[in-house]
Amino acid sequence: MATKGRVLTETAAATSRVARRRFPWRDAAAGYLFVGPFLLAYVAFLVTPFVRGIWISLHDWNLLAVSINPDAKRFVGLDNYTRMLWGDGIVWSLDHQLVPRLAGVVIVALLAWWWRSGAINRSTALAGIGATLLLFGLLLGLHPGEEGRWGDRRFWPIVGNTLTFVALTVPSVTLLGLALALGLNRDDRASAALRTAFFLSQVLSVTVVTLIWQLTFSPRQGLIGHAFRTLGLEPVSWVTSIDLAMPAIVIATVWWSLGFAMILFLAGLQEIPAELYEAARLDGAGAWATIRSITLPALSRTMSLVIVLQLILHFQVFGQSHLITRGGPNDATQVLVRYIYQTGFRNSELGYASALAIVLFVFMLVFAMLQIRASREEG
Amino acid sequence: MVGNRAARRIVVIVLMLAAALWVVPIVWMVSMALQPNDLLARTTSNVAWGLIPWPFTLDNLGFVLSSGLTPRWFLNSAIVALGMTSLVLVLSSMAGYAFARIPFPGRRLLYPLVLAGLVIPEQAIFIPLYTMFAEWGWHNGYFALIAPRLAVPIGVFLMTQFFRGIPDYIEEAATLDGAGRWTVFTRIMLPLSIPALSTLAILTFLYAWNDYLWPLVSASRPEMFTITLGLASLQTNFAQSEGLGRVMASGVLASLPVVLLFLLFQRQVVRGIAMGSGK
Repeated sequence: MATKGRVLTETAAATSRVARRRFPWRDAAAGYLFVGPFLLAYVAFLVTPFVRGIWISLHDWNLLAVSINPDAKRFVGLDNYTRMLWGDGIVWSLDHQLVPRLAGVVIVALLAWWWRSGAINRSTALAGIGATLLLFGLLLGLHPGEEGRWGDRRFWPIVGNTLTFVALTVPSVTLLGLALALGLNRDDRASAALRTAFFLSQVLSVTVVTLIWQLTFSPRQGLIGHAFRTLGLEPVSWVTSIDLAMPAIVIATVWWSLGFAMILFLAGLQEIPAELYEAARLDGAGAWATIRSITLPALSRTMSLVIVLQLILHFQVFGQSHLITRGGPNDATQVLVRYIYQTGFRNSELGYASALAIVLFVFMLVFAMLQIRASREEG
Repeated sequence: MVGNRAARRIVVIVLMLAAALWVVPIVWMVSMALQPNDLLARTTSNVAWGLIPWPFTLDNLGFVLSSGLTPRWFLNSAIVALGMTSLVLVLSSMAGYAFARIPFPGRRLLYPLVLAGLVIPEQAIFIPLYTMFAEWGWHNGYFALIAPRLAVPIGVFLMTQFFRGIPDYIEEAATLDGAGRWTVFTRIMLPLSIPALSTLAILTFLYAWNDYLWPLVSASRPEMFTITLGLASLQTNFAQSEGLGRVMASGVLASLPVVLLFLLFQRQVVRGIAMGSGK
C-alpha cells in the first residue's frame, strides 16, 4: 500500500510539474477565478472603506448636510486630529495625575516581577514596560496650562475610561479563567458539565447580556437588590452612581466573557506533556508547587495570547456601555467606540468621528502587533 | 492521597457553587419570561427572588411569537445569519483553496495583503461603510447586513491553513485522472474539509446572530432589525411598553438558537472560538 502510494505520488507530482510548466496561464486563471469573489468583497467592503475613512477624517463632513448636498463637505487637513489630540497651551508636569501614574509604577514592577519569575518572557516584558512608561510617564503628564484648554475636553477622559474598563476587565477574566481551567481540566462528567455552565453565557448576544444585567442592577427590581434586602442592607443604584457604573459594566462583561479565557487556558493545559507532571510527582512536589513550577511556566504563551486577545476585544467595548449605563453618569462610562458612534450618528460630525475611528485603529494595530508577538513566542 | 482527595472534593464543591452563581442570571431571565406580566409589574421577587417561575404562564412566549415585531426580527436574523454563513463558506473555501494549492503568480504577495486586513476591525470602518452603502441605497436590506463580514479574512486564513495540511498526492492522483480544478475542489477538497467548514460555519453564525453595532448603524426601519438589535430597542424603553415578561420572553427567544447550537455542537463551538483567536 505504502509503496503504491509513493509511486503514485511521484508520478502524479512529475506529471503535474510537467503540466504546470506547459500551462502556467492555467494556474493563473484558476487562481484568480478562485480568489476573485473573496478579493472583490475584500476590496469593496474592507480596503475601500478603510481608505475612505482616512479621506473623510480630513474633512469637516456633516452627515445630514452631505446627504442633501454632496459638496457640503470642506477639506480641513489634519484639523480633526489636532482638535482631538491637542489643544492650546498644553504643558507637561511631573505631578499631574499622580495617583494613576503611581499605578503605572506598580504595573512596571509587576511586569518586572513576572519577567523574573518566568511568567512572561524578555521581549514581552520589555515591550510592556516601554509602553507603560510611555503612557504613564510621558502622556499622562500632559495637561493644559493656566490659560490653555484641550481642543476636545472629552476625548482623553474617554480614552481613560476605555483603558480603565480594560484594566479592570482583563485581569479579572484572566485570573478567574485560569483558576477555572486549572480546576476543570479533567475528563470526568462533573467537570464537563461545569465547563458548559461557565461557558454558556459566552454565546449570548451583548443585548441579551445587557437585558439581564440592566435589570439585575436595578435597586428596586434587580437580583442584587433582592439579595441586599435579604441581608438587611440598603440596595444601591449601580448604574446611576458615578463610582459604581464602571464596576457594573465590568461585572457584566466578566460574567459574559469568562468562558473565552477558560477554554483558551484549557487548550493550553492540554498541550503540557504528562511526563512533566509525572516527574514532579516523583519528586514529591505538592499540588501548589506543581502549578507554580510546571503549569504556569508552560502556560506563559497562552497567558500572553489570552491577555492580548482580550485587550483587542474589550478595548472595542460598545454594547455594555451603550445599553446598561448609556455612557453615564456624566461620561463616567463613555468609551471610545460609543463616542465614535455618537459623534457620527447623534452629532452628525462624520469627519471628526472618522478621525476618532482612525485613532481606534492605531490602538488596534499596536495590540495586533502584540498578538503576533504573543502567538509566535515559544512556550 | 486521602488529603488530596478531600482537597479535590472541596475544590469541586466551590466550583459547583460558582457555576450555580454563574447561571443564575440566565435562570432569572427564563423565569421572568414564564411569569405573568402584571405580577412582574408589581414585584420581580415573587418566589425565591423570582428565580422560580410561580405563578407559571406561557402567555409571554405565546405573545412574542404571535404578535409584535419579534417574529419578524427572528426571521431577519435567520436570513442574515444563514446567508452570511453560506456566503462566507463559499468565498473562504474557494480563496483558501487557491492560496493553499494553486501556484498562481502573485499569491505570495496577495496572501499577506489579505491577512493584513485582520488588523482592521469593524469598529474602525463602520462610518465610511455607512456612507458608501447610503450612496448605493443598500441600507435596510439584507445584503447590507451581510456584506461587511464577507470581507473579513479570518475564514480565508482558517481554510488556507486547513488546505495546506492535505497531502499533495490526493489532489494529484485526481489530476492524473483528468479531473479539472473545479472538480477536484468540489468533489475531493470540500468533502475533506467538512471539519474546518463546520467550525467556520458555527463561528460565522454566532457572529451574525449576535452582531449589534453594524445592524444598529445600517438598519433604521424596525421591520429590518435583527433580533439582537430589536432586543436592544425593547430595552431602551423598558417596563412601560410591552411589559417585563414579554421583553424577557424576547430575550429567551433571541438566545435559543445560539444556546441550542452551543449545546449540540459544543466541541466545534469551543474549537471555533479557539481557532478564531489564532490559537
